[in-house]
Amino acid sequence: MKNAARKLYLTLIIIFLYAPIVTLVVLSFNSSKTRAKWGGFTLKWYSSLFSDTAIMNALYTTLTIALLSAFIATLVGTTASVAMHSMQAKYRNYLMTVTNIPMLNADIVTGISLMLLFIACRVTLGYSTILLAHITFNIPYVILSVMPKLKQTNKHTYEAALDLGASPIYAFFKVVFPDILPGVLSGFLMAFTMSLDDFIITHFTKGPSVDTLPTKIYSEVRKGIRPEMYALSTLLFLTVLILMILINSSPKNEEKPSRKSQMTSLVLRRVVPITLVILITGGGIFYGSKNKMRSEEQVIVYNWGEYIDPDVITMFEEETGISVIYEEFETNEIMYPKIKSGAIAYDVVCPSDYMIERMVREDLLAEINWDNVPNIKNIDPTYMDQSKSFDPDNAYSVPYCFGTVGILYNKTMVDEPIDSWNVLWDPKYTDNILMQDSVRDAFAVALKRKGYSLNSTDVNELEEATADLIEQKPLVQAYVIDQVRDKMIGNEAAIGVIYSGEAIYTQWENENLEYVIPKEGSNVWIDSWVIPKNAQNKENGEKFINFLCRPDIALMNFEYITYSTPNKEARALIEDEELRNSTIAFPTADMLKDCETFRFLGNDADAFYNELWNKVKAH
Amino acid sequence: MNKKYNRFLSGPYVVWSTAFILIPLAMILYYGLTNEDGAFTLKNLALMGSAENLKALGLALLLSFISTVICLLLAYPLAMILAESSMSQSSFIVVIFILPMWMNFLLRTLAWQTLLEKNGVINSILGMLHLPALQIINTPYAIILGMVYNFLPFMVLPIYNALVKIDKDIINAGRDLGANGFQVFWKVMFPLSLPGVISGITMVFVPALTTFVISDLLGGSKILLIGNVIEQKFKQGSNWNAGSGLSLVLMVFILLSMAVMNKYDKDGEGGMF
Repeated sequence: MKNAARKLYLTLIIIFLYAPIVTLVVLSFNSSKTRAKWGGFTLKWYSSLFSDTAIMNALYTTLTIALLSAFIATLVGTTASVAMHSMQAKYRNYLMTVTNIPMLNADIVTGISLMLLFIACRVTLGYSTILLAHITFNIPYVILSVMPKLKQTNKHTYEAALDLGASPIYAFFKVVFPDILPGVLSGFLMAFTMSLDDFIITHFTKGPSVDTLPTKIYSEVRKGIRPEMYALSTLLFLTVLILMILINSSPKNEEKPSRKSQMTSLVLRRVVPITLVILITGGGIFYGSKNKMRSEEQVIVYNWGEYIDPDVITMFEEETGISVIYEEFETNEIMYPKIKSGAIAYDVVCPSDYMIERMVREDLLAEINWDNVPNIKNIDPTYMDQSKSFDPDNAYSVPYCFGTVGILYNKTMVDEPIDSWNVLWDPKYTDNILMQDSVRDAFAVALKRKGYSLNSTDVNELEEATADLIEQKPLVQAYVIDQVRDKMIGNEAAIGVIYSGEAIYTQWENENLEYVIPKEGSNVWIDSWVIPKNAQNKENGEKFINFLCRPDIALMNFEYITYSTPNKEARALIEDEELRNSTIAFPTADMLKDCETFRFLGNDADAFYNELWNKVKAH
Repeated sequence: MNKKYNRFLSGPYVVWSTAFILIPLAMILYYGLTNEDGAFTLKNLALMGSAENLKALGLALLLSFISTVICLLLAYPLAMILAESSMSQSSFIVVIFILPMWMNFLLRTLAWQTLLEKNGVINSILGMLHLPALQIINTPYAIILGMVYNFLPFMVLPIYNALVKIDKDIINAGRDLGANGFQVFWKVMFPLSLPGVISGITMVFVPALTTFVISDLLGGSKILLIGNVIEQKFKQGSNWNAGSGLSLVLMVFILLSMAVMNKYDKDGEGGMF
């Protein structure tokens, strides 16, 4: 009876722990790219996984960093625990407090403070800085696992060993160490696991061209997680599972195992795991060496996640012989501190309109030499004009993608024509509305609805918008950024605020979805390529920008990322007539007449917006 | 142990923690106590006093407290079961509890979304069985679920480690002296496992208090926790001064609550602090 209850309890907990894992494994076989829909069984993500060198590189960086940092942290942490254990309480308490700091701080604080430290010491951000950061946040986990073990050790046994003539070191390894070994091992395992999973600290302490799996996954969030990631997670998970089963499969109920079973057990428990480990490390070194065979000429690119067709980069490298070091970010605000601090000298970056204005104002950008970018002639002059709102002389930026913000709705779930922001305040759709979870986008909706400018800094207008947003909050199902598309495809909500580029994709996946730019007007945004002032390879950067402005290349990118291209020659090349004339991708001037571009409003106004948004969110 | 050895052993860690913990902390302190022009101010610390931030702090404390209690209640029996099973098997079972953490944290949390959504997996199964739908996505309950899910292993492991160490003879002695099952547990086992429990509580409570990803993904960003506020200050506002100020206040808060908790660690060793 008692045993049955135990088994039931264990089973329930295991179901709880493994339900999401099973979900992810199932998703890795889903032929649809979105997690919201089952498109049939496929193995294609597994085959495309192994041909993706970026993912494989990230995998080996992740594994080697996790192994190294866990090992060093265990070494330092265990010695520190042993020392602290026999210290005076006062010093021990002091050291323990220090130990807890990395655990107490929000990750983002630890990450930024370490980045500041590395910059101050003029250490180049890269593999070694990630390693240092990981060791730092791993040590507390080791100490927290080892200390309780040490407290339980019996002091007298150790003293007895000393009395019997053992040296302190000998006595430690013979008496104390075996007692604390489980703690040391679980500390190591914990450290390894934490390192494997960390994103934020890694993001701020890493350099370009070094990526770990979590940083890759997070940069993909904006455009949706690539199914290859599910496939990779599944493989990783299975490998570890098999390793563990092999190591633990000791022959039971055999007092004196026969020679043969001893051999098999030796092979299974030692040889196979060791071979696997050697294979993984060897593969890492192989990929690492491949990575180093780069030409002298290079260009460091910093772009939004999933915002370029990977083949375009390969083509550029082949045609020009310049190797591309490619790094991704997920919001303008994450990108900004890395440029501002000068931590890494990027050659080309792709920020949005208002952020470009801010960077121009803070003198972070270099003027582009147009002689090196002749393909600028392919860009529709409309968008060059529009760019003047943030780059008045067209001196710093080359438009890459543009789009609008509008309402995506599910035709089967609404019963009226939708053409106004007011529908987002209609109680009929309570719990069926998805709002944008970013300050400016949310306020743009509320301000535009009342006919105000979305760049308003008028206190009364903003207070009114705040009150409206608070009034709307009970109707909202969720505030989301990237998951609008998955949720809309999965019929989770009737109405969502979305970027036009995402709208095209969602329509491919769910034909009941329709996109509209509300009649009150909306936001039209432009993401443009710029060159930071501290760029080391400015000319290569210009070559890269010029390459992207080539009509065939711009077309490849458009078809891959579905965000509208300002390249008029590329648009003319689109074969699918429906897409070429789509007013979602290429809205007419009439549709855009009340649309505005975001401006940088200054730090004070930004702070005020954030304060008001905080009020809405906390309400 | 010998003092000389002691100094030698603690040396590397003292140097390490000074370089990578204390100096960066000093930088946060500097940012937290200055304004954008570098002049001294207490304004950033006072930000915590605003109604919104107090509410976010209170809610974060409440949710992480509930999650910690649930984790403890789930983990203790689990650790007991694990500790009692035979040695070779149990190390395997322990690994079973760490294994899920090898799938990326964000992917796991997104998977919970797929499970919990209105048209999600769980509701489809409930629907097939003609049971009422589960509507906890985008509510505080989903956040608690996410916290418990993500941090449960941090509670199981230290308690398990502590329980495994307890000498069986002590428990048997308790029985021989006439204690019933509950008394043996409450008077013998629990006090001996207390260091593990306290380290587990630390490892669950603190990350739960500062999380912002879980509340964003499972709470639909409708529920603002103090972690979200700090993250927003750093990311959306790029306002490092305010973010640092708030983190400092939060740290003092955590340090205080830990100090209180350690009063209950009566083994004379001083506990975690």
